[in-house]
Amino acid sequence: MEIRKIVGKVSPEERDEIQKLFERKNGLAELGKIVTVDNDELYEKLVKDMGETGTKFQQWWDEKAKQYGWESHPKGNWEVNFQTCEITLVVNEA
Amino acid sequence: MLTYLIILLDDTSTSYCHYEVNRKKRNLISIEDLKAGIIWAMKENLNVQFVYPDYELPSEYLKIIDSLDHTDIKLFRNGKYADVVVLNGWGDDVPEGATCIIRCCRKELTEHIPVVNNWLKRLTRLNVVLTDVETFKDSDISNYSDTLSSLGKNIATLYASGHTPQLNLLTDRLMLSEMNNCGAGDTSVTLASNGKFYLCPAFYYADEKDCIGDLHSGLDIKNQQLLRLDHAPICRQCDAFQCRRCVWMNQKLTMDVNTPSHQQCVVAHLERNASRELLIKLEKLGVRISNSQPIEEMNELDPFNIVNRWK
Amino acid sequence: MLSKIRESGNSWKNGTVKNITFIVTKDCQLACKYCYLVGKNTKERMTWKVAKKAIDYVLEREDEFREESVIWDFIGGEPFLEIDLIDKICDYLKTEMFRRNHHWFNSYRFSFSTNGINYHTKKVQHFIEKNHKHLSIGITIDGTKRKHDLNRIWKTPEMELGIQPKPEDEKGSYDQVVKNIPLWLQQFPDASTKVTISSADLPYIKESVLHLYSLGIKEVNINCVFEDVWKEGDDILFENQLTELADAIIEQRLFESHSCSFFMEHIGKPLSRERDNQNWCGAGLMLAIDAKGNFYPCLRFAQYSLRNKPAWIIGNVKDGIDQNKLRPFLTLDRTTQSKQECIDCEVASGCAWCQGENYDAADTHTVYQRSTAICKMHKARVRANNYYWNKLFRKLKLEGRREEFEKQKSKVKNPIC
Repeated sequence: MEIRKIVGKVSPEERDEIQKLFERKNGLAELGKIVTVDNDELYEKLVKDMGETGTKFQQWWDEKAKQYGWESHPKGNWEVNFQTCEITLVVNEA
Repeated sequence: MLTYLIILLDDTSTSYCHYEVNRKKRNLISIEDLKAGIIWAMKENLNVQFVYPDYELPSEYLKIIDSLDHTDIKLFRNGKYADVVVLNGWGDDVPEGATCIIRCCRKELTEHIPVVNNWLKRLTRLNVVLTDVETFKDSDISNYSDTLSSLGKNIATLYASGHTPQLNLLTDRLMLSEMNNCGAGDTSVTLASNGKFYLCPAFYYADEKDCIGDLHSGLDIKNQQLLRLDHAPICRQCDAFQCRRCVWMNQKLTMDVNTPSHQQCVVAHLERNASRELLIKLEKLGVRISNSQPIEEMNELDPFNIVNRWK
Repeated sequence: MLSKIRESGNSWKNGTVKNITFIVTKDCQLACKYCYLVGKNTKERMTWKVAKKAIDYVLEREDEFREESVIWDFIGGEPFLEIDLIDKICDYLKTEMFRRNHHWFNSYRFSFSTNGINYHTKKVQHFIEKNHKHLSIGITIDGTKRKHDLNRIWKTPEMELGIQPKPEDEKGSYDQVVKNIPLWLQQFPDASTKVTISSADLPYIKESVLHLYSLGIKEVNINCVFEDVWKEGDDILFENQLTELADAIIEQRLFESHSCSFFMEHIGKPLSRERDNQNWCGAGLMLAIDAKGNFYPCLRFAQYSLRNKPAWIIGNVKDGIDQNKLRPFLTLDRTTQSKQECIDCEVASGCAWCQGENYDAADTHTVYQRSTAICKMHKARVRANNYYWNKLFRKLKLEGRREEFEKQKSKVKNPIC
């Protein structure tokens, strides 16, 4: 069973930061399906970027969680709504 | 409100504006159409301007033309003393006190500044019509600006000495407090030698099928409101009041009659700014232009970039 | 408990988006009767060479195309008939945006408007899997089978030769399309459909919207065509259908989880000449590219979309965009194109215009003559819309939830982790 609870809100600027990282992460993942080792330069650039973007993505969550002190749960994860800037704690009780 | 009727007496009638005459074969307007056009103009209370070809008209035509007050626009060769004289070239010996038109490209204008300066000593008014506005690039801004500045210096000297000729590119803006444009389709229409009406001669020469009525059925101008200033979103907020707002060039370059091209706007603004420079010079020389108002400093040459789009 | 009223039109990125449309083919399996694409044919297909040139042209000019985001849009005819080309184009776009460090790599979508017939095929499914997080796919399903099949009929070889079938020989495409809806919704749960209404469709509006809801489609974007197809009495029939639909939506509480674009709070009000003068139509802000590499301000200005006028080409892949030819679109506003009757109209808000239809129907070569063929239909919509909101607000008030509705007006969609 999924329980959802709004636990906070970020500013529009903070939302923009994470949205950009989220989009980039998705773009890199999809690019990874078509760029192969054969294309040396591009492949290396892609791998490097994936690492950096993933790190920045996690950093954002870590920093904001600490800054705002959002409620957390061992079986839960946070979601950000790009329209409302709200942070929702989603707990999967199953 | 319609005020003028321009009658092209022949397909080879001289051009007095931006358009080129692309007909070589003579085609004189029929005497019936000429009479009908004149009667129509009289009933509509319009001022008539006749545009002549470069040959002598039959006497019966001249007699009919003379039956009403009118303005003659003639090529210099046979029209030395016409109301408006279209000059053939830079060597013409301009008549004293005349109103003349010179059609030229920008390069020619720059090369013949001394000729223009001389002419202005004799003329009441000179209209310079640039025939290559379409090819104006932003890299031409500096050259054209310098040309206008040079012309302006000479005019300031003339005015300071008491002689006050008009040069459309520079002095018109000094005396205007609102738009004063060509008015094709709004304040004027053209009767071509085929007996049909057109917004202006340029439309006739571009496409004969593009008529707006004829002498039998009358005028039929569709979307006439788009020829007026209030329906031109860029122009109605602009203060380059001397601009011709040539609707033919609008249609040619932007594909809509109410929208000017980048080139037209830039050229008009360079002239506007040169007029401002001239006004400042004249004020320093103690010359007063009656009814003139200050012209604001403006760095933006294309009002498209700053216009409030939704105003 | 009422948590929200579902609103429609949750547009990605709220408008700071460049829409670039590739007209990949003019071929289609269908011959929909209301299709504004009057010049469809099997011959004009975009080549990879032309597509690549267009992409390079755009991506090389990052300083000219400064919008924050881009939607790469693919249209036809039926775009999925060119899935191989589309796949190649999208791969190239992703690679090039990344390789060039283009800002659009952080903010792009691939968008498709499809008849849904090929949706399930292996190639299309493979493409979806490859690009899923960047896809926006709309399947056009017009409502109930009888409404859908009224207009969305299969094309026959005889039609290619200009021979129209007898009504009894027409075959509708509903059965083939509806089979793919569950798969589509499973892959895109928040997907919406676009429904077009012409004169013959009017009696089926209510049943069609409800039917689409029953298929699992929660957002129905439904509009009347701009063209002059309306007959005497159509507006009353339209109003009645919408009123009945309003009753159904409210009684079944469908407003909590579904939306229908006919019912919007803001429509049917007078507009200020000064404050409400902006153009909402994106022609000029978007870019459409045809098989020959010609550029258009919107696909509605390509020849195959036009009945009466020549195409309005603003450039091509070789010479680029002639910015002068964009100026009329970018300075168009509400009042300059409208008759006084429209400017003064007491129910003007929400009355749409299409610059393409303006141009095609105009007396001269201009976009500044507003086509008003939908006037009566808009007014009928306004009356039904007023009925809907009055009834809904009253219901909410009696339930003590009116204030809650006002607070919950923002949409809740697309959360992420």
